[in-house]
Amino acid sequence: MTDVLTHMFTNFMSRADSSKDLKVIPPAPAQCGVLVVGEQNLGRSVLLLAAVTAACRLSVKVVFFAQTQIQSLPVSLQKCVPSLSPESLKQIKFCYPRTLEELLQQVAGLHESTNTFPVPPSLIIVDRLEDFLRGPADESHGVEQSRAAHLSALLCDTATFLTGLLEQQTSSPAPCRVIASYKPKEQSGEFSVSDQVLDTLDRYFQVRCTLDQDRSYKAAAAGLQEVWHIYFSGTGITLDPCAEDTEVKPGLAQEWQLSIYPDGFMEFQLV
Amino acid sequence: MPAVLPAVAEQLFRDIRKTYQETAQIPDDLLIALRFVFGACAVQALDLVDQRSVTCLSSPSGRKAFQVIGASGSLYTCFTSCHYCPCPAFAYTVLRRNDGLLCKHILAVCLCEAMGVTRMQSASDEQMTALLSGTLL
Repeated sequence: MTDVLTHMFTNFMSRADSSKDLKVIPPAPAQCGVLVVGEQNLGRSVLLLAAVTAACRLSVKVVFFAQTQIQSLPVSLQKCVPSLSPESLKQIKFCYPRTLEELLQQVAGLHESTNTFPVPPSLIIVDRLEDFLRGPADESHGVEQSRAAHLSALLCDTATFLTGLLEQQTSSPAPCRVIASYKPKEQSGEFSVSDQVLDTLDRYFQVRCTLDQDRSYKAAAAGLQEVWHIYFSGTGITLDPCAEDTEVKPGLAQEWQLSIYPDGFMEFQLV
Repeated sequence: MPAVLPAVAEQLFRDIRKTYQETAQIPDDLLIALRFVFGACAVQALDLVDQRSVTCLSSPSGRKAFQVIGASGSLYTCFTSCHYCPCPAFAYTVLRRNDGLLCKHILAVCLCEAMGVTRMQSASDEQMTALLSGTLL
């Protein structure tokens, strides 16, 4: 799944970096889940940009699940992709389940012919998992963990099934990918290192994409609205299906820097 | 820990499949290996296999899922490509304590598949959706 995100970062690279030859390697089917961890608004922008990149540049069908309706594209996205074509955007189906149960039913139903005709989706996106998984304040952690496992396993199993359909139906099949965003619970202003739900999600999502804001003086002095560091990690990063031994995939950039300018424009730089 | 089995466990199931195809039984050395890799739930899983407790449901779309009848008679739905079970043991031992690879229900599925003794059953696409989402037991 990192291939869609790498496509996206590459398309919106700074001019200084755009000459670098980056390989975009399709993922092995077992490595098709990416969990975007970090601040919610930026996470949504990253997911929307990934959806638009997949629909417009890779010409694949996308299903985007969110609990809150997306009334309009974020300013940052409008700046990045000023000439979105309506035909391309039709490739993205937005679904707004109100509860976890509705989300489970809608994901479970992706195998039905209404969702796989004429072609199955190639990218499943779920924004803000924490909104779906959250229960009452006094609820046991174990219940939320079980919910996280059920949803994550269903997403992975669904992607595997859709991959099989894509292999049967298309001339150049690529696996169905899953991207989800999650913001861990905060404790005393820092993310909880022992977030058990995040541990559970890591079982099923082979790659983690961490969004980490740079709050240093250097970033502020540069006059940019925001500077973020984007890191890829997880077992899905270190395994190269083409290599005999485990090794980092050649050309797969694991760290990027995102600059957001005062007018909302987003620019990615390879670190 | 990922939601797929380590290589040693995968190899064990391949050995069981090969041996069972040839002899229609699992020899002691493979049973001991099962117990060593999966712990106490290996024996419980073998009981479920003996009782033919595992069914593979398939729908017209081609989607599949496993259903396991637990020791208490409860029905548990498991996925075909990654490990999840709604039983309390999976939630506690595997997820919360990270103290086991699988629960007995998922292990029973793996064993039945290796031995070729999974029952087959059909379901409608809508029933499959309800089953996978957990709204139909």
